[in-house]
Amino acid sequence: MYKEPAKPHTLTNFTTALDQLRSSVLRMSSLAQLNLKNSIKGLMERDDDWCNNCIADDEEIDLLEMQIDHEGIEVMSRFHPFASDLREVISSIKIGANIERVADQAVNIARRARKLNEQPPLTELHLLDNPIRLSLQMFDDAVRAFAERNASLAVELKARDKELDRMNKELADVLVNRMQDDSVNLPTYLNLIFISRCLERIGDHACNVAEDVVFAVNAEDIRHLAK
Amino acid sequence: MRTADTPTSQNSLSEHCLELTDDFTSGEVNFIKVEDFKFFYGKKQALHGINLEIPSRKVTAFIGPSGCGKSTLLRNFNRMNELIPGVRHEGDISIHGTSIYDPSVEIIALRRRIGMVFQKSNPFPMSIYENIVYPLRIAGQKDRSVLDETVERCLRSAALWDEAKDRLHESALGLSGGQMQRLCIARAVASRPEILLMDEPCSALDPIATAKVEELITELKKDFTIIIVTHNMQQASRVSELTAFFYLGNLVEFDSTHKIFTNPAQKQTEDYITGRFG
Amino acid sequence: MSCRTAAPQNFFTQDGTKTSVLRLFRNRFLTGLCIALSLLTLVPLFSIIMLVVKNGFPLVSVALFTQLPPPPGLEEGGFANAIVGTFIMVGIAIVLAVPLGILGAIYINEYAPTSRLSAAVRFVAKLLTGIPSIICGVFAFAAVVMTMGCFSAFAGGVALSILILPTILLTAEQALMGVPYAYREASFGLGATPFQTIFRIVLPDALPAIMTGVMLSVARAAGETAPVLFTALFSANWIQSLTEPTASLSVLIYNFAALPFDYHVKMAWSASLVLVALVTLTNILAQIFFAPKHR
Repeated sequence: MYKEPAKPHTLTNFTTALDQLRSSVLRMSSLAQLNLKNSIKGLMERDDDWCNNCIADDEEIDLLEMQIDHEGIEVMSRFHPFASDLREVISSIKIGANIERVADQAVNIARRARKLNEQPPLTELHLLDNPIRLSLQMFDDAVRAFAERNASLAVELKARDKELDRMNKELADVLVNRMQDDSVNLPTYLNLIFISRCLERIGDHACNVAEDVVFAVNAEDIRHLAK
Repeated sequence: MRTADTPTSQNSLSEHCLELTDDFTSGEVNFIKVEDFKFFYGKKQALHGINLEIPSRKVTAFIGPSGCGKSTLLRNFNRMNELIPGVRHEGDISIHGTSIYDPSVEIIALRRRIGMVFQKSNPFPMSIYENIVYPLRIAGQKDRSVLDETVERCLRSAALWDEAKDRLHESALGLSGGQMQRLCIARAVASRPEILLMDEPCSALDPIATAKVEELITELKKDFTIIIVTHNMQQASRVSELTAFFYLGNLVEFDSTHKIFTNPAQKQTEDYITGRFG
Repeated sequence: MSCRTAAPQNFFTQDGTKTSVLRLFRNRFLTGLCIALSLLTLVPLFSIIMLVVKNGFPLVSVALFTQLPPPPGLEEGGFANAIVGTFIMVGIAIVLAVPLGILGAIYINEYAPTSRLSAAVRFVAKLLTGIPSIICGVFAFAAVVMTMGCFSAFAGGVALSILILPTILLTAEQALMGVPYAYREASFGLGATPFQTIFRIVLPDALPAIMTGVMLSVARAAGETAPVLFTALFSANWIQSLTEPTASLSVLIYNFAALPFDYHVKMAWSASLVLVALVTLTNILAQIFFAPKHR
């Protein structure tokens, strides 16, 4: 279901402020996507530069999170939004917080990657391929759901999050076994487990974003529903 | 957002009411019942087949753009519209199961049981005391102790006693705008009505006076069924439990205030409350 | 102008100084003209008062207010009976016209503001205000004097009441219209009947304005000669009953001013002074007692 953006308010400033808030969220999410990809690149290509880029750029995302909060509060105090506008503002603020956490996870991955880069490469790194693909895709879809106000796309994400959780668990089991066999590389395995955990968290945050999108678009609260 | 093809059913409405208050059993779900009510000013139709059930001891807000019929409907509850020549109605309004248009209903008695507060405060040019006892005087009450008791009771329930007790016999026109409006509320409850109609009671008041009146409304709903017409949507969302949205003489949506202001079912309601009208 | 010198030149004179000076001059000229013309309207008023005072004051004495008019040729006495007569006839006019006028106004403004009857009453009242006072006298002569067979204070009172009735009705209607609709709405909203609303709320609020109208029309009636001339005629004696010819100040002035006796002409001047004083007093009292209360 693709929804047309609503017609403009009688108050032009109100529309402008909401558009501004929305574009801040979109800007923040594309920065987070880029950062996440940088950290993954740093991890897979064993290149500290990408990792450093990711860590350095996180600051801008933190600033954007504060800006989104500020803009959201501004809209609330000046225009007293109701109904879809109210939901949009609340969701934007919450989505901002979730994206910030995704970016933090990207930084965590980058830090772990730099540590891995100090160690000899292991083929087990490629156990992460699937979780990486899935979590990146989930986050991309969450952002797309927000950008397109696409609630059905957002609803799908929950099922995929389950899949990601399962992958994370499996991977942990595999790596714990490897640790027992190959205790020399234990720090590497540990870092891989941590990275897998980060990816799983990214999936959770993508889900949260999707839930907020559903709330903004359909006014439904789909959190904590037994499925 | 719920789409327009899922109309608000009476069931979901009563469920909302049940959710909202514990003491709901003390009230009536369909205390005031409007059935297929149409109203005409001369040839101009102001209301088109309104159906509405208002529960007792709740604050119900009527919102909508100017000329949408919300005040017209409000003024029909105590048949004030009949002061205007050339009006007529179809359909029925009943209170407590009795039609207000029943031939046995005395319009005077009806208005005594339904207090009304107007947009512009309209105290009579007499003392504060005389303003409040006016409804009793016209009903023939002469007992001084009853009058005194009523004045104190009403001023207290309108949260005006402390401000006015030392000047009861001074002109009511010397009060401030907010005090005058609260005096009018005190006067409206003097004859112990069950229903209080408020036609934009705060539109001429500053924010502090408005807050006092709103606080008063919250107090009064323990004893009265309150229907308030307002242009101020923040006000509707603050004071009311149920909100009805009118547009072009139609009742577009009637639901719990929470539902109306976070997730209205109708597109027209959404457009109006988010300020996307016209 | 001081601000013109203080402020930057071009800020206040955007389209050139010349125009501004011309405009300023025209403005002052017209203001001056208005003041002069309004002063001019005071000239007739003051000349009347000065003339009446100058000619009427010398004769003012206690006797003037306590004694009967002297027969022609004698130079002592007063016009006490005319003052009493004027008061009685105006009193009769008030008793007849005020209740009728106020109740009529209540009907046409409160009960049936849009009915045809009200429109007719309003139209007739407006016509009657424009009718010359002498016609009222002629009518009362035909209707009262002819049927009762004598000139009388009562006939004079009837003539005056016809004269003031439309004014009272119309000013009372205006006064009722001036009562805010909100008062009526509030009263009806509290369950009052129309009768209660009118007599407890509307009338008390309109009363000052109604009474002002009554006083002004009474003051005017006191000075009318023509209606009284035809109906009450004149009398040199104290009034004994309402059914005999009665003296009044205005007819006394009319009669005595035409007499060839110097004393009587002077009495006419004094009577004028008394009449002007009474009318002025009535007006001032009306202003004091019935000044509209501020809302």
